[in-house]
Amino acid sequence: MKTLRSMLVVVGLAVSACAQDDSKLRTYDNNDLELAVGNAAKMTCTCRFVMQMDDAYCRDWVRASPNVARFEVDTTNKVVTASSFISWTARAKFVDDKRGCALE
Amino acid sequence: MSRLVIVITSLVAVSASAQMCRARASWPTTAWPEALVNRDTKAAELKALEDYAFTLEGQPEERKGFRTNGLVVVKNGAIVYEKYARGWDASKRHLSWSVAKSISSTLVGVAVQQGLIDVNDSVCKHLTDYASDPVVCAITVKHFLEFGSGLQWQEEYEDRSYQVSSVIAMLFGVGRRDQVRHVLTHRKLHEPGSMFAYSTGDAHVVGTIAKKALTAKHGTDAFWTQLFDKLGMTAPVFEEDISGNPLGGSFVYATPRDFAKVGFLMLNDGCWADQRLLPVGWVQKATAVSDTFRAARGDCSGTKAPDDTFQLPCEDTPNGYMWWLNRPPAAGAEKPWKDAPDDTYAALGHWGQRIIVIPSEDLVIVRTGDDRQGSIPVNEVVKYVLPVVRP
Repeated sequence: MKTLRSMLVVVGLAVSACAQDDSKLRTYDNNDLELAVGNAAKMTCTCRFVMQMDDAYCRDWVRASPNVARFEVDTTNKVVTASSFISWTARAKFVDDKRGCALE
Repeated sequence: MSRLVIVITSLVAVSASAQMCRARASWPTTAWPEALVNRDTKAAELKALEDYAFTLEGQPEERKGFRTNGLVVVKNGAIVYEKYARGWDASKRHLSWSVAKSISSTLVGVAVQQGLIDVNDSVCKHLTDYASDPVVCAITVKHFLEFGSGLQWQEEYEDRSYQVSSVIAMLFGVGRRDQVRHVLTHRKLHEPGSMFAYSTGDAHVVGTIAKKALTAKHGTDAFWTQLFDKLGMTAPVFEEDISGNPLGGSFVYATPRDFAKVGFLMLNDGCWADQRLLPVGWVQKATAVSDTFRAARGDCSGTKAPDDTFQLPCEDTPNGYMWWLNRPPAAGAEKPWKDAPDDTYAALGHWGQRIIVIPSEDLVIVRTGDDRQGSIPVNEVVKYVLPVVRP
């Protein structure tokens, strides 16, 4: 729990620092964890079910910074669910052979 | 009277030749013909190309250097070179990233050819579900094709705080469920057509305009029936958000051989198997420096927002209708790819995706890859390929 709290503090400080540097730009109401799980779900789904690469390749391919997302691949229903810590979850589903995957 | 007949005959002949498609001995609709370069007579040239494009650096987890997954070269209508690496092969669809933008532009061209879009149409004519704001309705299809919507857009990727990236917010964050709405709700930063600003958001709008126009006439699979199937592309994927908007700035997938067919369509002035898929003059317009790019050139200070809150990057490579061009960005400047012929143009994507077209060489080069520390330069790819394919 102490490790988790420390990580959140680090992430928060990083976001804060970047926001100060970019204060003249438009900012969006996303946090890094939300974006990380969205990226992991969507890109894993397309890597596995559109590009049809194997699990090891896809795990390396979607690795992003911060590398905090864990994900589960449901190969039967072609759904990828990614999560990070307690509250952040994202789901991407393979639609069909023409439209690939969509992030919900 | 006889002079009048000659004039009319000449005008008819000129008009007919403009409509005509270039004759080819065969078209690769079913499969690409192969005429592979001789590995003995071209040994040195091939070694130089493969050393450059396929030599990996460091450990895989370090993601260093150029990491080529596929390289396909088409010369005179036949595959002359093809190589895959890192677990990839000819059957696997590869992510295009921003190569998708050039494909979205081409789909608009298909709709223009069919009389479904005029590039001077207001975006509001086609995106009736979204656009009623007068500011948005002042933007035309052409403005979006030229990255000239004037809407504020911060095209940032992994190398900056994610919170300032308009594109990451659109693809994975607050804008992901309806990505066209995300784009169109950005504020106006410049008059449409006055400022070039590379934008995945603009390309998403272009793809959605093409979809709305083509599906209204041809049904939900119009991208496939009206373009991809006609080229004989085997299994292209064009992803959508959950609102049904095609993600035309980023998420098209195809095999390298199929991406080469898009380049070959452009190389043949928008014709395929003697059928004109793109309007007369479309390819010329799409691969000429755009009005928006010319309006903004040579004055990088002009990339500042009027209220001084925002600075766009100053782009050194000219653009047409979402195709990058080997033209000097300003009078007296050098062309961006110095070892490539002047008529070279390209579709370029993140992590080194490339479709490079060189009409004067009757050449199409497709390169797929996973370059995480800087994409492979177009100039170098052309520089190493040309000696392989020239006599």
